[in-house]
Amino acid sequence: MEQQIVVSGMGIISGIGNNVDETLDALLNMRCAINGIKHIQTIHNLPCAEVAFTDKEMKDILSIPQSETATRTSLMGMVAVREALKSAKLTNWERLKVAFINGTTVGGMEKSELYYFDFLENDKYNNFIEAHDCGACTEKIADYFGGFSYVSTPSTACSSAANAIMLGAELIRTGVVDIAIAGGSECITKFHLNGFNSLMILDKNICRPFDETRAGLNLGEGAAYLVLESENLAKERHVEPLCVLSGYGNACDAYHQTASSPEGDGAVLAMSQALENSGLRPTEIDYINAHGTGTSNNDESEGRAVAKVFSERIPYISSTKSLTGHTTSAAGSVEAVVCVLAILNDFVPGNFNFSKQMEILPFSPQKDVLRNVKLKHVLSNSFGFGGNNSSLVFSKYR
Amino acid sequence: MDELILNLKKEIIEVLNLEDLTPEDIDANAPLFGDGLGLDSIDALELIVLMEKNYGIKLEDASQGREIFKSITTMAAYINEHRTI
Amino acid sequence: MVKYPIYINGMGVISIQNPLDDSAIFAPQTYQESYVRCVDPNFKEYFDPMLARRMSLIIKRAIITANYALNQAGVEMPDAVITGTGLGCVQDTEKFLDSMIRNDEKFLQPAFFIQSTHNTISSQIAINIGCKSYNNTYIHRGVSFENALTDALLQMNKSHVSNVLVTGNDEMTPSYFKLLNRLSYWKESVPDTLKIVHQKESSGSFAGEGSISLVLSKSQNSKSYAKIDDLSLFYKPGGINVDKISEFLKQNNLDMDDISLFMTGLNGDSENDTVYRQFFDMFGENRIGFYRNICGDFYTSSAFGIYAAAVCLKSQNVPEYLIYSGRKLENPKHILLYNHFKNKDHSLILLTKC
Repeated sequence: MEQQIVVSGMGIISGIGNNVDETLDALLNMRCAINGIKHIQTIHNLPCAEVAFTDKEMKDILSIPQSETATRTSLMGMVAVREALKSAKLTNWERLKVAFINGTTVGGMEKSELYYFDFLENDKYNNFIEAHDCGACTEKIADYFGGFSYVSTPSTACSSAANAIMLGAELIRTGVVDIAIAGGSECITKFHLNGFNSLMILDKNICRPFDETRAGLNLGEGAAYLVLESENLAKERHVEPLCVLSGYGNACDAYHQTASSPEGDGAVLAMSQALENSGLRPTEIDYINAHGTGTSNNDESEGRAVAKVFSERIPYISSTKSLTGHTTSAAGSVEAVVCVLAILNDFVPGNFNFSKQMEILPFSPQKDVLRNVKLKHVLSNSFGFGGNNSSLVFSKYR
Repeated sequence: MDELILNLKKEIIEVLNLEDLTPEDIDANAPLFGDGLGLDSIDALELIVLMEKNYGIKLEDASQGREIFKSITTMAAYINEHRTI
Repeated sequence: MVKYPIYINGMGVISIQNPLDDSAIFAPQTYQESYVRCVDPNFKEYFDPMLARRMSLIIKRAIITANYALNQAGVEMPDAVITGTGLGCVQDTEKFLDSMIRNDEKFLQPAFFIQSTHNTISSQIAINIGCKSYNNTYIHRGVSFENALTDALLQMNKSHVSNVLVTGNDEMTPSYFKLLNRLSYWKESVPDTLKIVHQKESSGSFAGEGSISLVLSKSQNSKSYAKIDDLSLFYKPGGINVDKISEFLKQNNLDMDDISLFMTGLNGDSENDTVYRQFFDMFGENRIGFYRNICGDFYTSSAFGIYAAAVCLKSQNVPEYLIYSGRKLENPKHILLYNHFKNKDHSLILLTKC
């Protein structure tokens, strides 16, 4: 009989909090982190949810010399991994094979866009040339800790971190590794801020997921990781699992480079597969943490897909992106942490800034946070550009 | 107006990378989207950028494009009326 | 980690050699420069102009090689599409970035942004063939393809999966060539790319680019190229030693003598090649193979190595261009491929004649 994969630890840093405890507090009190931009220079006055720390502050926290080459994405990653390792009591793991799987798409772009002309014209910032690609970012984080025997970088835009978690589980199941630290990290860059802006899908105000008047998304940044291992290993190591990773699904919309199909075909497939993989019926899901970016297209497509898959009974559903912003490649793991917190603390996260139900949907999201609700099974969606749709199912342990 | 239509055709061919087409190939009254030239939603965004960059017209709402970009002729008429450059 | 027998039933390649042509490795072209671009097929024969205008070179190549491989394997719809790419869609990333900086964030064209996200390759293939199944992309430096291949093998372990398309793609733009040149990636002059591995000891290799698509299947057929017996991808900064290789072979009930060819990522760069040279005694110069002299150096060139090895296993011939001693080898049975990136990321792959 296949072993259960459990979540034995987690770490997170985002606009709403610098660690798990701050994140929980922000969720329970619906604290929105979407505000002006401080860490990059841009002509645009677009609200974003930035991580509070500067790069300099993160280097100090991590005891990294200021002169060392490190991108913001990798610094956030280090902070979150450190918390995850600590929470899973992983300090010395010589006899174990541990993987680090980091989803990212921008990598070191936030430095590359600053030093672009120098890269072309002189040797001043050569040390950042090799820090640009996604894999370099992952290895920077891995090397800070040392000891990882498998290091990988899935990069599927907004579903990267969810795919990282899936890969982690698969590697454990096959025996390639014993433990996987899996998730993602992404900082805000001018590149993708302008990219999303050119697609006219950024809201000039705080976003309104699943609202009839929604006008786009807000970018966020952050890093989050889950520590995954088999239930047996967690027992051996005397670590109490936080919850179970019951199942997952990955499907492709195969419709358009950026838009989702109107009926949400890819979303339907991903959610259905995740349910089948978990051995659960749709009616057994108590809460869906939606991708819910607040764009006209996603919320319609995802909403229709949810209505189709959960036609018998639509569970509580909310998007937390109106609190955290859209953390793009990290969203899958940021929101996985949200789901685990919801299960552990018996609450349904609220869909901040919602007021008017979408006319084409038969449901409204859960607007306010709901406490004292026991959640047994939770589904989390992450849908990326290019139709890379992924869904994860988390369940209460025991 | 004829000159504007010709210029628009050239600009559209360049910006949308329609390298196999010449201005003579494009019927100014034919639909740009769906049938006709067969442009899509990304092209619509590109045309919005073109209008701002070359003619100083800023569209705040992408859906306004539906009427304006019906054909090259409608586009030229709108530009003629609203251009600031 | 391989549960079922896995066969490479279809392969499509566009590289600096003749495109979609397996005979190219037996009579490869040589070049006299450190920057060589792909020999491309006539794209107009493959794409409708309205679709092609949105596709950069890397996308066009990937779609062509993917379809070629699927066709060859007789597979209409794979159960997964998985891509490895070291740098992603560089051309369009540069276009958007350049425009953003030069125009102070104004008048930006969304098409370049959309086409720049790295997972666009995998998603464009899926859109082209209408595949809604599992889809993933890995961007991990010089082992990006092996990352994709690992995932492909994990998918193949599932009983409902019969065929997987796995593809390695990289493009080298003039600007990126320039950037990597600052880091001594390339030799100053290259009189003969085929002889790059024997070129006087110095840093750098020569730049290539390419698209290599493989279709993996659970069932063998008359056209099968080779069998993938095992893959081990791991992270070990500082390098591996002979024991690691022996251990890998032992897991597959083989030892050194069973290996017909040790296919390496030798590329003429002294630091890179030093790592491979430590295994020369183990196998002897007649059994040391390489392929980057044929395809050039790029982050997913290891995919070309697998391709070349598979062609050799099928034809039962390893041409002299691929062997360190220059003596061609006949009737290869097992080929062991070893690739490393900066002596930190390592992959071992075992291919067998089927």
